Amino acid sequence: MSIDQSTAANKPVSQVMPRSENPPKHLQGNQLGLCLCSVCKKLNVTRNSHCRRCFSPLSTRNYASVQQSWALLVTATILLVLANIYPITLLTNRGVVTNDTIFSGISHLVQTGMFPIAIIVFTASILVPWLKIFGLATYLAAISFNLPISKRKLMVGFHIIEWIGRWSMLDLFVISLTVALVNMGQLLDAKPAPAATAFALVILLTQLAAKVLDTRLLWDRLEKKHDTN
Amino acid sequence: MHELDDHDSIILCRSCDLAVTKRALPSSARAICPRCDTVLYDSPYCSINGMLALCLAALIIFIPANLLPVLEIHFLGSVRTTTVIEAAIAVWAQGYWVVGLAVLVAAVIAPAVLILSILAQVIIVKLKLQRSFWQRTYTTLLKNQGLIAQMTMLEIYVISFLVSAFQLSDFSDVFFGMGTFSFTMLFVIILFLQREYNLEHMWSYVDEH
Repeated sequence: MSIDQSTAANKPVSQVMPRSENPPKHLQGNQLGLCLCSVCKKLNVTRNSHCRRCFSPLSTRNYASVQQSWALLVTATILLVLANIYPITLLTNRGVVTNDTIFSGISHLVQTGMFPIAIIVFTASILVPWLKIFGLATYLAAISFNLPISKRKLMVGFHIIEWIGRWSMLDLFVISLTVALVNMGQLLDAKPAPAATAFALVILLTQLAAKVLDTRLLWDRLEKKHDTN
Repeated sequence: MHELDDHDSIILCRSCDLAVTKRALPSSARAICPRCDTVLYDSPYCSINGMLALCLAALIIFIPANLLPVLEIHFLGSVRTTTVIEAAIAVWAQGYWVVGLAVLVAAVIAPAVLILSILAQVIIVKLKLQRSFWQRTYTTLLKNQGLIAQMTMLEIYVISFLVSAFQLSDFSDVFFGMGTFSFTMLFVIILFLQREYNLEHMWSYVDEH
């Protein structure tokens, strides 16, 4: 996995084959009349209506994707607040019923001294969802309001969000295993509680918000201002 | 159509649409977009026979991984065991079908579909099935490959064994079984399968026809 050495091997086309007397610094696909198929990533001529490899309809940019992504993100934010307020599990221990929210579950882990597990659960259930929502909001705001944030940093952040977002599922897996194992009536019993559904929907909606977004829009907008960061 | 041939040395970044000239890569190197650091392409190393072997191994280990109990607790003399599927159904039975469905899809259905999909693709490529039915199946499988790969979350499930075991050890004795071992092996095999698999390389078989 030598990543660094290959970075230098690729140059923007404008440096290798200048097309005009005064070539722009970064030549984009839509300026060359080329686009990638949104399904199979094959290079196509923009003039064609369908991909020459997989016959899916072609489009250069999906301008509606910013709105769709905002809508999904706002819904996910509301649900995440609910997921944090309402209990996520209902534990009966020798007749005593306790409601555990995401946060109280973690503080219980800290009190019993299981720090590594507490850190894993904290990362997966609190840190990752909130970081994802703030990160995506920053990214979308940079597109919508033309904020002067380094595009390269935003893109790296976006890839991290895409990759790490799935780890929130950890909490749901743990709940399902616990619910299936701990079912001894009044003695010891675990049941899921409303926040579990909200949390599942948060994961689904934030993953969708990242997937739906056409990231090329960010690079178009700022390119017009000749800002090359 | 022929004007695109002039452009075959060009690749566009899927994240920022920058046009980049394509170069030959040394093995195990990845080309990265000079402007936004997105991975553009890998060196095409994608062994069909290796993937076939991994698919078959994954199919075999899939059965014990889903039929044998993955966790077992002993509490005041009573023993409780659960498999991955039972755990998902237990949540579903409590009325939380969204959670149950999410667990079932991420841990059972998506991995199964992933293995079968790659197996079908490998067989179509290996036996050079040219009939239009097979070619259409192949294209459809490739189109959905990214989605299925994203829904497969075995690595997270393996970590959740550990987390659950530590949480439950507070009340009771926790034991891992053969199911845990099988499930972890399934995760390892699928990890290697996905490393071997290269979507762009699989698409290139369509280009050849």
